Amino acid sequence: MASASEYDLMLKLAPHLDRHMIFPLLEFSASQLVDEETEEVTDEAKFREITEAKYALLKRTNMTDYVAKLYKEIHGSKDAPAEFADKKQKVFNQLELYEQQTGVISELLQREDVIANLRSDKVANLEFLKKDHGVTMEMVNALYDYGQLQFNCGSYDDASETLYRFRVLSTDNDKVAYATWGRLACEILGMHWDTVLEELQKVRESIDAKLANNPLAQLQQRTSLVHWALFPLFNAEKARETILELFFNAGYINTIQANCPWILRYLTVAVITNRGRARNAGIQQKQMKDIVRIVKQEAYEYQDPITRFVQALCTDFDFEEAQRQLVIAEEVLRSDFFLVAHADDFVDSARHLIFESYCKIHARISLKDLSDRLGLNKEDAEKWIVNLIRDTRLDAKIDSKEGTVVMNHPPSSVYQQVIERTKGGFFRTQVLSAAVAR
Amino acid sequence: MSRFFRGGDDSSSESSSDEELYGSEEEEEEEKDKLQQDDSDDDDMDQESDEESESDSDDGAAKKGTSRFLLDVESSESEESDVEGTTKVKSAKDKRFDELEATISLIQNGQKINDWGSISNELDKLNRQVVKLQDGGKAPKAYIKCVAELEDFMNETLAKQKVTPKKMNATNARGLNAVKQRIKKGNKDYQDQIDAFRKDSDAFMESDEEEAPPPPKATKVRFEATSFPGEDDGGDFTEVTGGRGPKLTPESIPKHLRAILESRGKKNTDRLEQIKIMERLLAVAVTPYQKIRVLMTLVSARFDLGTGGASSMPLEQWKAAERELASLLLLLEKEKDHIVIEGAEEWDDDDKAPVLENGQKYIKIPGSIVSYIERLDDELTRSLQSIDPHTSEYIERLTDEGALYNIIVQGLLYYEMLRKDASLEVPQESLNRMIQRRLDHVYFKPSQVVKILEENSWKEIPDSVDSTITPRSQSSDAAQLINVLCNYLFENSDGIIRARAMLCQIYFLALHDEYYRARDMMLTSHLQENIANFDITSQILYNRTLVQVGLCAFRKGLVYDAQNTLQEICGSGRQKELLAQGVMIQRFHQVTPEQERLEKQRQLPFHMHINLELLECVYLTCSMLLEIPLLAQTGSSPDVKKRVISKTYRRMLEYHERQIFTGPPENTRDHVMQASKALAAGEWKKATNFIHSIKIWDLMPSTEEIKTMLAKQIQEEGLRTYLFTYAPFYDTLAIETLSTMFELDSRKVSAVVSKMISHEELAAALDQVTETVIFRKGVELSRLQSLALTLSDKASSLIETNERTLEQRTQGSTNAFNRKDRQGGQRGGGQRGGRGGARAGGNTQRQAGGTQFTGGALGAAVRG
Repeated sequence: MASASEYDLMLKLAPHLDRHMIFPLLEFSASQLVDEETEEVTDEAKFREITEAKYALLKRTNMTDYVAKLYKEIHGSKDAPAEFADKKQKVFNQLELYEQQTGVISELLQREDVIANLRSDKVANLEFLKKDHGVTMEMVNALYDYGQLQFNCGSYDDASETLYRFRVLSTDNDKVAYATWGRLACEILGMHWDTVLEELQKVRESIDAKLANNPLAQLQQRTSLVHWALFPLFNAEKARETILELFFNAGYINTIQANCPWILRYLTVAVITNRGRARNAGIQQKQMKDIVRIVKQEAYEYQDPITRFVQALCTDFDFEEAQRQLVIAEEVLRSDFFLVAHADDFVDSARHLIFESYCKIHARISLKDLSDRLGLNKEDAEKWIVNLIRDTRLDAKIDSKEGTVVMNHPPSSVYQQVIERTKGGFFRTQVLSAAVAR
Repeated sequence: MSRFFRGGDDSSSESSSDEELYGSEEEEEEEKDKLQQDDSDDDDMDQESDEESESDSDDGAAKKGTSRFLLDVESSESEESDVEGTTKVKSAKDKRFDELEATISLIQNGQKINDWGSISNELDKLNRQVVKLQDGGKAPKAYIKCVAELEDFMNETLAKQKVTPKKMNATNARGLNAVKQRIKKGNKDYQDQIDAFRKDSDAFMESDEEEAPPPPKATKVRFEATSFPGEDDGGDFTEVTGGRGPKLTPESIPKHLRAILESRGKKNTDRLEQIKIMERLLAVAVTPYQKIRVLMTLVSARFDLGTGGASSMPLEQWKAAERELASLLLLLEKEKDHIVIEGAEEWDDDDKAPVLENGQKYIKIPGSIVSYIERLDDELTRSLQSIDPHTSEYIERLTDEGALYNIIVQGLLYYEMLRKDASLEVPQESLNRMIQRRLDHVYFKPSQVVKILEENSWKEIPDSVDSTITPRSQSSDAAQLINVLCNYLFENSDGIIRARAMLCQIYFLALHDEYYRARDMMLTSHLQENIANFDITSQILYNRTLVQVGLCAFRKGLVYDAQNTLQEICGSGRQKELLAQGVMIQRFHQVTPEQERLEKQRQLPFHMHINLELLECVYLTCSMLLEIPLLAQTGSSPDVKKRVISKTYRRMLEYHERQIFTGPPENTRDHVMQASKALAAGEWKKATNFIHSIKIWDLMPSTEEIKTMLAKQIQEEGLRTYLFTYAPFYDTLAIETLSTMFELDSRKVSAVVSKMISHEELAAALDQVTETVIFRKGVELSRLQSLALTLSDKASSLIETNERTLEQRTQGSTNAFNRKDRQGGQRGGGQRGGRGGARAGGNTQRQAGGTQFTGGALGAAVRG
């Protein structure tokens, strides 16, 4: 456990996340301290520390009930001070106020006849609403504030809905951009991964388009986006490929390298666990190659067991070291909020990876040795290898008598290569001559 | 000289002859009050020279009409010999009087039409003329009258000017100002006469009639003595200093200074003499204002000694200038109400010193401290350039750098202080220049040296003063200091200064083994793209920085990166020139003297040099470590394209191999070459010995570490070379054998082999059970096969080239083809991007090494 906490990234991640997003992370850290069977807290001081952190974190939000509870927990008192009640009241009042202000719009947007009249042109829409239904600019802006307040109170779904309405109507570009960020946060916290992806795409577009001439802001916003995207990356199966594609986009990979190399851990895990699952093996291979290169480049800046594993395996070909790092990496994974669910997956994929490069290099492998290397007993290893050979159609055979696996490396025929290279020639020439003829 | 100059002179003939004799009028003016007894002689001399100059003296006078011209000719014809001097004096004098009157009338005309431009011109002429016509210190009456009237008129105009809102035009206004100054200056000398005139103008004019000018005595001896300008000057000055000594008073300081300033840059001024005068003036100066003025003039006069070609300022002068600048800065520090600032107004009144008026915070004195300091710095560099670096003289001279650095720091503090007062509007640029200079003195030094330098300079500065940019407390940490200075320049400057600051910081980081930071900064600066547009000194700095980064990479053991970085400079074979550490001998074309001079000026002083031999040694060693395995690899298989990492190295190796007898290695190059040979043969121990016996490694910090690092690299590369070379002769090879052969850990050996297999450099596989390497047979291509491969390669690149050409031709207007081709384009772009990215990281795999040639498809075709 001690070794894993050494690689805890909480402090590095936190500055780039929203207050509300840090909360699950803290919650997770706290749960790590609780012994699963006895439900007892193992490290009292640390647990308290985390509770205090939670309190400090949420103090400025409007989730007063929960904050009051935390306060009580920290101070061991029975009742919370009156200020919480006050604040609660205030928040309620404000909520009501906004609700009144925005009631008209919300109602309007639920009416069929109004929606039918809306076009894709925002200005025209606003004009139409103003003329026919008396909607004013102030009311639209109130929607924005209302959304923010709802978000602060922890009612993410409502906030998301409100912000969506705001975005439909508002013409203020800056605020729309903020609202998009806000909505992304809401959807992440509400765990609606499909909409998260949509919003992510929107945010990405706005970063690329609007901040093109402000590199610093672009870098910062990209950093935040990368951090936020970790939530869907590891929680939604579907989102994975899109987000990986986002991360490997030149702008974002540069951001990661320059501003937050610790993301490499997540990226590495995502790429490795993505093996065989990806629809396109080519892309996967390319990503793997990229990640190896980047990990090597950034080694002077960031290292943890996961990146070290990759480096040992793919650049140094030091299988023993890779094996050692894999063991530590597993622990690290188990204590990481994002990766905990993927620990087994990762270990499995990593084994595949080891075996693959092992096979590539070796002609004959002793089964016993291999089972040690994979961290399995001999029986299991044999079964595992047989499965692997069947799945990946490796050209290998097990020699039971000798206790070895024998690889076949058929050299690629020269003639085959020549054929490959000249394959497209005819077609391309045809196209070419057609183009010239025109 | 006189004739030549006179040809173009359109003012009166007298004026030019004056100049011939005196060098400058101002001098003469000075003499006037002191050497009045000489006046008659002077007059004489004028006449003599007039006569000598004969008819061309009329050029100026010609404008008065032909009659006058004729008269002149007549008179000058008669004036043949100096013996007749006395008779001719009359006519010459008359002539002068006529001219004087003509000028006066011109001035009066000018007054009528209020044309100050012409008045000012005429007044200049008048002043020159009148000097010749003085008798016994008295100016001609007409002159006095004119001047007095002019003064009145001027005052009137000035008064009017203040009331009327309408502005004078520029020439007029300038003329008026000039007249104002001239009158003020001139009238002092004739004050009593003017007063007399003012009292009773008629009586004054009358008395004039009666007084006949006493005929001056012409002394031939005197004339001969003074006819040689150089001699004349010297004589005069010794006389002046001798006679004038006691007369130097605080009150007369401004006048002397003005005289000296005005003679500046003119020929025949004895600068040393002036400096002596000023040194004495400094002793008598009392008020801070006077002191500052004298110091400033003195320092600039000293700098004037250094001007002219490549010669540097004499040592003692430099030291004196340095001392004076230091005391000037100290004085300014003490007297907070006096400031020296660019663009302040000149104080014209010589009689009274400026005082603080109400509402004024400072007495502003025009001048530029930053220029003085820069000049001082440049002069030191120049003298260091000219001194032989291997003498003790050089070292002695170098110790002056400490003093200079102190001054720079003090100057910086002074500007910081000025900047604090926003009302002064001190340009940011001055401060930037100071910081730049300071940076220039520290960036190439190890931090210990910088620390000492800083400590000494802070010792000189009173405790009460502290810097906001570089606080005293932080000065002990050199890295911090550099960082602060550079960051300041990043934030407050742009363009070249910014780039230079960046380079300085990178240099410093590289010097202190911060390779990754240095490299990242170098890459983020994007300087390699536009350095060619910068000036040459910046380019030199860039080259120096690049080399330093390369050396740093080498110390870190990153052979590939080091070689890649140094390639550009060392591969060219022009290191000396590129680093400004020596002039290249041009073999093919002649260099003009002008170019040569410029080149010499750019040379860096020796203490800033990067050791070229060490550089070469590092470069060759790196090249060896990369090239030898490559040679072994390409040697065994003909189909691998011939890649060359370092042409320079290859050439040397070839040359070395051509030699019939190779003796024991003598210089660094020999050592590396013999090591290369040994390494190629698989004798890594011998190679290590050769490399280790290179003496120059001792110049590197932590020599032993570098040697061990090199030994390790040689072991690995030796193993690779061995495998490449001998693979065809083996079926299997035991890892164990390899491991004992190269004294490497068997794990390490298998890692190396694995890597080679994985990168498909070696057609082999490992057998884990027997711990051997099994070489696959039949992978070597037959000649026909490899030719077939090359052919197919060429065919596909031909198609690609065709597509590209067509795309360019049609500008992408043919749609069907375009779609197809865009894919091709993307593919190409991707590849290039990938390669570029890898290069940016500097960590490309070996295969990609060296090929920085990214010519896309066309390039591939060319290469293939």
